[in-house]
This record gives sequence, structure tokens and C-alpha cells, in this order.
Amino acid sequence: MSTTRAKPKKPTLKVTPSSRVMNVSTSGVLRVNHSSTYARSINASVSRKSFSLAADSKILDKSSVQTPKHTVQVFDENGKDVTPQPLYQPDPAAVMSKHSKIFASDTSGGTMSDFYSTAYQTTTNASFAGPFTRSVFGSSTVSRGSQSTMESMNEEIEDPSSKRDISISLSDVQVRREEVKELIKEEMLDDVVDRYLIESETLWLLHMPAVSVSVDSEEAESVKERNNLYMELCKNRMGNDKYVERSMQTFNGAPKTKEVQSEAITMVDAATTATTWDMYDSFRSAGLGEAALSPDTDKASVPEIVSNHRLDPTRAPERTMSVISTTSIASASSSRIEIEPFVVPSEDEPDPELVLQSEKFQQDLFVMERIILENIYQPKLAAYRQLPTLEDPDSVPKVVPTVVSRREESSLDEESTLTPALERLWSFSCELTSGHNVSSMAWNKRNPDLLAVGYGQFDFKDQKSGLICCWSLKNPTWPERVFTCESGVTTLDFSASNASQLAVGMHDGSIATYNVESREKTPVIDSSDCAHKHTSPVWQVRWIDHERGASGEDKGETLISVSADGRISKWFLRKGLDCIDLMKLKRTRNEKDKKQVGDKEKKSEALISRQAPGLCFDFHPTDSNIYIAGTEEGHIHKCSCSYNEQFLETYIAHKGPLYRITWSPFCSDVFLSCSSDWTIQLWRQDLFTPVLGFTSTQSAVYDVMWSPKWATVFGAVNEGRVEIWDLGASILDPTIVSLASPGVKLTSLLFATETDCILVGDSDGQVSIYQLKNLTVGEGTQVAALEDIIGSTLASQL
Amino acid sequence: MAEVEETLKRIQGQKGVQGIIIVNAEGIPIKTTLDNSSTVQYAGLIHQLVMKARTTVRDIDPQNDLTFLRVRSKKNEIMIAPDKDYFLIVIQNPSD
Repeated sequence: MSTTRAKPKKPTLKVTPSSRVMNVSTSGVLRVNHSSTYARSINASVSRKSFSLAADSKILDKSSVQTPKHTVQVFDENGKDVTPQPLYQPDPAAVMSKHSKIFASDTSGGTMSDFYSTAYQTTTNASFAGPFTRSVFGSSTVSRGSQSTMESMNEEIEDPSSKRDISISLSDVQVRREEVKELIKEEMLDDVVDRYLIESETLWLLHMPAVSVSVDSEEAESVKERNNLYMELCKNRMGNDKYVERSMQTFNGAPKTKEVQSEAITMVDAATTATTWDMYDSFRSAGLGEAALSPDTDKASVPEIVSNHRLDPTRAPERTMSVISTTSIASASSSRIEIEPFVVPSEDEPDPELVLQSEKFQQDLFVMERIILENIYQPKLAAYRQLPTLEDPDSVPKVVPTVVSRREESSLDEESTLTPALERLWSFSCELTSGHNVSSMAWNKRNPDLLAVGYGQFDFKDQKSGLICCWSLKNPTWPERVFTCESGVTTLDFSASNASQLAVGMHDGSIATYNVESREKTPVIDSSDCAHKHTSPVWQVRWIDHERGASGEDKGETLISVSADGRISKWFLRKGLDCIDLMKLKRTRNEKDKKQVGDKEKKSEALISRQAPGLCFDFHPTDSNIYIAGTEEGHIHKCSCSYNEQFLETYIAHKGPLYRITWSPFCSDVFLSCSSDWTIQLWRQDLFTPVLGFTSTQSAVYDVMWSPKWATVFGAVNEGRVEIWDLGASILDPTIVSLASPGVKLTSLLFATETDCILVGDSDGQVSIYQLKNLTVGEGTQVAALEDIIGSTLASQL
Repeated sequence: MAEVEETLKRIQGQKGVQGIIIVNAEGIPIKTTLDNSSTVQYAGLIHQLVMKARTTVRDIDPQNDLTFLRVRSKKNEIMIAPDKDYFLIVIQNPSD
């Protein structure tokens, strides 16, 4: 089948088998004697086409029965199918009509398919002839046995859908040219095909009927006659009723020019910047989730964005941009929100008040104040936090003395060794507190920057109303909270479990707890309703964490207080504050002073209470069952919570009331006591005489505290000075001494937990922060050092 | 209200504080301790700066917002607490 499958260099069509078909069909067509001009033209066209095709065809055989499945396909060199697509899809109706036309003629050897294929040809060329031909061929007769088909086809002319089927069933191959495509099967290529060469019939290429006839021909007579007839006809035409001339006139409508005028279309330029946050804001304010909106509202929100963008910074229209006016036009479709600013209510007057009173403004002020203060106090705070202080590069360099506090016996600074000193950083004070005596200070257990200071007089005379101030490190000029109390505050302590709870003991014997988080000025609870409340000043309160749970007592913290009426009470909450007595501090008889005391005791027992006023106490750091208490007599009693009748031990050494007693946080056997007899005593639990005594001046020692960082260091404050003792350095003299300003008595001392600073409160209401500088404590573990000292001291005493 | 006044007074009395300006959302000063011309100048200029700063912060992350702005210069420091209703501006010279 190589012949049929052509591979031309240029994509020309190979239609070999069909060429013969054409020939046949053409002739068949010509036989149709419905010689309307249309048909003729078609025929002519067909014939022309077939001629051209025939010229191209290589084979002019007549082997009719070939595999009908020849579709012409055009392949280029590469074998790709570049068969041109038909530009025209023949109307099936027209095709069918062509079919009918074709079938009308009887062919000797053509198959249906051949006719069909020709029909395609004709339709391409003369599609316009379709309807006409239909009418023409509707009456054509089918000579061959395809009559039935013809009729069916005629009937189905109006039914295009079935035509297709018929066409397909009839012929499997179409494809001439670019009309229909069908694959050439591979098998076809290998088939052996017979070709027969025969003489075809005469091919009429052109038939122009003659217009004139020679006189001698047979037709001459008839022609002449006909001509004569015609001439008569023409003559008769004039005035004959059969021939009437008529003319028609069509009306031409009068043209009219119509003009339309419209308003000028205003063009505005709208511009917007859609920033990321703008879009985020508008999505948020639309109240829907972003996922739901996305592309739909993108368009819709764009104009809104424009308006919103203008909205937020502007409430009044006269503001800045003139773009507003254009955007309002451009975004007319967006929500009514944008109408508001243009209404101009100008509510300026209430606004500032609202602004000033808003919460946010207060908060901002608060923060601003802190920031300003941080600017001012930055070097001091940095020193407190033990950060390196930076010099402000723009400030005028001042000579900043490294040590501000007065040092008396300290030598001049040498490059190699710097003497330990106290550097005063700043002080907490304000006009509220001036004149009040600082009686106690306590750090908050949770926030190490929060300090509670209680103000109250120690003496019973000139009692003022007490004051509690909560100071924050971030604002040294104004306390965060101020609580006023009726009577002077003598002691306070923060709770560890509930960090905002502050217990306060007062000079009139009442105990109250405050919640420092709230802004309320009143205590949460007060002991004034309690029947067993203290009748004398409460000298110390402490929150003690009882860890034992065996005895059925609740775990957790309880409030213990000691007061001058000789009771150590444990307070708990049960429909109000109530207490039970842990211990009654009885007056003990000192066997040594039996002689004198005894008589006086007997006499005075009747008058004075049996209790000894308790001034201080401290619970053992590890065993919360044991505590020591100091009395006004100068006795130290070691007691246990389980026994509330008897002391475990009594330590007698002081000759005056004990102001402070405190266990060492490092050595659990050692405690310190200070009293108004100018001494500080260091005790060990098992010894009934003090191990060490410290005296430096002749003034009562009001407060003593172990350093939380070094086991051998403690601080003491007496009336005129602050002393820092380092037992590792010297047991005779304090390592650092700092004098108070004249006229002011120092009353309390507190070590800062995380930094090397101490707080000293004085009688003028100031709490000063000092930094311990250059305090080098000896090497070795602190505890061991302390015990060594104690051991060596004991050894030396023996 | 009294607390606000007190705090303002305290701030004004702190060391080095040159002036406090409170501006509302439109840029009109509500309260000021400086003279009028300076106030107006500060208000206008700082408003633009804050807008720019806020846009910057929010462009990077729309869920973020500007809470405080400090401008440190050779001679002083301008601290601005912006809000959608107002600006609080304090000018301080810390080395005074």
C-alpha cells in the first residue's frame, strides 16, 4: 500500500484511490439531467476539482474494492501527522443532499463511499449550493439499488443526527484533502493490492452548449422555428395583457440625525497604599476569619481599606490630605463608617477629659514615670543589680566619687587593695514618709524588687498613725502602695505562699493582713475582733511554713506573732482571725541573781504579769518546730511548738531587752542576738553561754541580720551607725562602718537577697540603699569558716 | 483623676524633665507644660514620627503594635507613649 500512503516532500494530499472515484462520480453527476445552473456549477466545480486531483494522482486505476479505509494523511519527513484539519465541517444536511445527488446517478463500479467522498468535495467547494441542491435533488431519482437508501436519506435530510451514522456506516473512508481524517491502519500498508488499468470513460471537461446552429444541421429547422416563435412573442409583448410592466418603489425612511448629550464622566484618580497591617485590620474589623473571606472580599475590602486608612488617623476632615475628598468619591461603595468623619461633630471638648481619665493613660503615665526615673537613676540601679555602669557619652563628665558614704577608719584607696566600704546608692523616701520612723522592712518573697516598709514609733510616746509603704525598685521617689494604719506599725512580713499578702503587727496589739495587689487601702482582715488579740504591742510577726502534716495540723503557712503581753500566738483564719497561744513567756527566775530578784519577783509578781514581754523570735530554718524567742528580760528561750508550757532551753546572757534574734541561714546551730545592752551575741544551740560577743559602741543595737550570701558576715545597726561584721576578717571590729547623718537614728536593717546591698531604715523615714563594695570574704566554704571560728574561739576559751 | 494629676506633677518635678505634652489623636495638644509654639511643633513632628514607627512595626507583623518610643539625642531624650487616642510625650534631659 505504499502507493496509497504517500509521503510527499511537501504536504500535498494523496488521494489516490479516490481519484478514480472522482472520475466515476463526475461522470455520474453529469448524467443527472437536472440541469439547473446550480447543479451545473457544482458539477463544473466538481469536475475541476477532480481534474486537479487526477493530475496529482499517481494511480488511475479502478480498483474499486480496496480497503475503504483510506484516509488521507499527510506526513512530513519526521513522520509526524501534519494532516491539515478541515477548515470547513460540512453540514451533514448538505452532505446528505450530496449523497442523494450522487446516488441518483448510477455508477458502474463506484461504491457508496466514493460518492460520499465526492460529496464532501463538493460541499467544500460549494457549500452554498447545499440548500439548493437539496431541493433539486429532492426530486432526483435513484437508479441504482440505493434507492431505499436515498429515500431514507432524503427523509433524513432534516435529521442531521442520523445522517452521520449513515454516512459512517456507509463509508469508512472519507478524507480527501483536509476534510476528514482517519487513520491509515498499519495493516493496510502491507496488504497486497491489485491495480487494474483500464480505459476510463470519456471525460467531459467542458461542455458549452452552442448558441448558434448551422443552417445545415438537423436542428436548424427547429431552431429557426423556435426563434420565430420567440420573435413573435416579443412583438406581442407590447400591449399584451400577459405582460405588464410594473415597478415598485421602496420607501426610504427619512434619515434623521439624533444627538445625545450626556454628562461628562468624571474621572478620578484613586490611589491607596495597602499595607500589611491595613489589610489585617480590615479583616479583623470585618469580624470574620481570614480564611473565610480571602479572595471574595479582596475586591470589596479594597475600597474599605481606603476609607479605613483615612479613618484612623483622622477624625476631622480638615486634617492633612486632600486625598480624602477623592477617596470618598472613589470609595463610595464602602461602608457607612466613612461617613462619620465627614459629618464633623467636632467633639473636642469631652475628648481630653476622657483621654486623661482613661485607664490606659494612667498606665502610660505610670510607665513613663518609671522610665524617666530609670533615666535618672540608671547608674545607681545598675550598680544595685551589679551591672557595669556605663558612662553617658554626652553628659558632662563629672567626678563621681566612688564612695559617697562617710567612712571613718577606712584608709585611702590604694590601687592594689580597696577597702571594703558601703556606697550609698539611693534612698526610698517621699514626703509622705518623712518624719516617720522606719520600724521594719521586708522583701516580697516572689518579686525581689518589691519592698514593704513599715513606719511606726518604737516608744509608746508620740505615737503617730502608722504607715505602710510598698516600694518598688523601679520608682524610688514614690511608693507603689501606701496604707495608713491607726497605730504605728512595728513589724511586717510578706507571706511566701501568697505573695501579695502582707501581715502587719501594730503598736496597739492588732494584727492585720493586707493585699498589696489591690488598690484598696483597707486591710483584708484585722484582728481587732478577735477575743484573744494581743493587748500590747506586737513586736514581731512572721509567716512560718509548717511542713509537717502528721499531727493533723494543716500544712502551709501560719502567722506567728509575739507581743509584749508575753504570748506567742499562732493565728489562723476561722471566721475571722483567731489565734491560739503557742507559748506564754513566763518570767524565769535567774538562778544567778536569785537573791535580789527573788524578793522583787515575789513582790512584783502580784503587780506585774507573770509574762515576760516577748520582743522577738525566730524559727529554726530547717526544723519548723523549734524556735527561739527573746524577751525583755534579756532571756532567750528555746521552745517547741509541741510544748506550750515549757521552754526547752533558756539562754541567759543579755542584760537588756533583746531586740533581735536570728538563726544563721548557713549553720543551723548558730544564732545571733542583739540587745540594748550594746552587745551582739553569737550563740550555739548547745551552749548556754554565748560563743562570741561583739561590742563596738555604746549604743543599743536595734537590729542585726545575717547576710544571706556569706556565712560569716552579718550586719548590725545601732543608733548611730551601720556595721558590717565579717567574722572571717575580724571578730573584734566591724569590717565596715557607716555613720548615720546627724540627728537621725538608724533603726532597721535588711539585706538584699540577690545583690550585695543593704537597706537601712532610719528614724526620719528614709530607707537608704547601700552597696557593699570590696567585701572580700575569705575562701573556703563559709560554713566551715564559721565553724572554725567558733571552734577556735571555744578552744581558746577553755 | 486626682491620681493622674499627682503623677503628672511628680513627673514634672523629676530631675531633668523639660516638658510634658499630651496630644490627642488629631494632633491637638490637650495638656502641656511647654510654650505654645514648641508644643505645636513637637506635636506635629512627633505625630508623623509615631505614625511611621507604628507602620513599620505593624508591617513586619500585623499582630504587633507600637507601645513605646524613645528618641535619644545629644541634648535630651524624647519619650513617647502612643495610643490610639492620645500621645504622651515627655522631654527629659537626663544629665541635668
